[in-house]
Amino acid sequence: VAKTSLTSPPWPEVKLPDPVEEAKYHAEVVRKVNGLISAGQYGRLFAVVHFASKQWKITSEDLIMMDNVLEAECGDRIRMEKVLLVGADNFTLIGRPLLGKELVRVEATVIEKTESWPKINMRFWRRHNFQRKKIIANPQTVLRINTIEIYPCLS
Amino acid sequence: MVVLSAARWVRSRLTDRFWRVQEVLKYARHFRGRKNRCYKLAVRSVRRAFVRSTKARREKKRFLRALWITRIEAASLEHGLKYPAFISNLTKSQVELNRKVLADLAIYEPKTFKSLAALAQRRRQEGFLAALGDGKEPEGIFSRIVHQHY
Repeated sequence: VAKTSLTSPPWPEVKLPDPVEEAKYHAEVVRKVNGLISAGQYGRLFAVVHFASKQWKITSEDLIMMDNVLEAECGDRIRMEKVLLVGADNFTLIGRPLLGKELVRVEATVIEKTESWPKINMRFWRRHNFQRKKIIANPQTVLRINTIEIYPCLS
Repeated sequence: MVVLSAARWVRSRLTDRFWRVQEVLKYARHFRGRKNRCYKLAVRSVRRAFVRSTKARREKKRFLRALWITRIEAASLEHGLKYPAFISNLTKSQVELNRKVLADLAIYEPKTFKSLAALAQRRRQEGFLAALGDGKEPEGIFSRIVHQHY
């Protein structure tokens, strides 16, 4: 059959590596990372956490301010469970989409519950004698991230 | 003798006009020109400023998302991937990171972003292979070139 413009696909041909060798390489990498974690050879850990319908990139000793109310008193310790990504200097653990609860532990304390600065909402239509002014102060909560811990239970 | 109603020759006068005016002027003190001093001009400017800030709060979200997308595009081009390929392959690999966090990772965690780009590239190649299928001709087709005789 003669070659036309549609004989070969428009993308360059790709060859994936051998699956058996890949599996061996993956197991090796997992073992190395497990070794690093259990030996404790990582510096500062950062995590991407899904909290209050937002995603935050956090480290330890971090302050976070949410624009809503949390039903916990000031000084309560909170564990954040939806962790999407954890990383250190030499390795990252990417969750699909979340990481396991026995793998990561993120702890935070509620520090302060206040209101935001009074924001002004104004609507105005010219020549129609229409103006409305409303002052809104949202409740806010401030959290301090205490620790991020990982445990060597990769497989 | 007890007087129950106020006397009719006493009228009430506005005594706190100064503070009512200051309430508006305090929002105009950093403006330029006479509208930071004169009440009549300040009222109009302050009203427009409030309305503009309300509308801007809604547009800030659009603007920030466009900024994140630009930053992610630049970072993924450094690793040889275009933005639509990067984002679509990440979501197909069930990684649910949003653009804000991806932009932060691209700035502060370059090694992590490189690994995400490699993940997206690998998923893209697997997608190409899956699209090609077996590589065999479909049944019922005998040739791809049709000669037309007039």
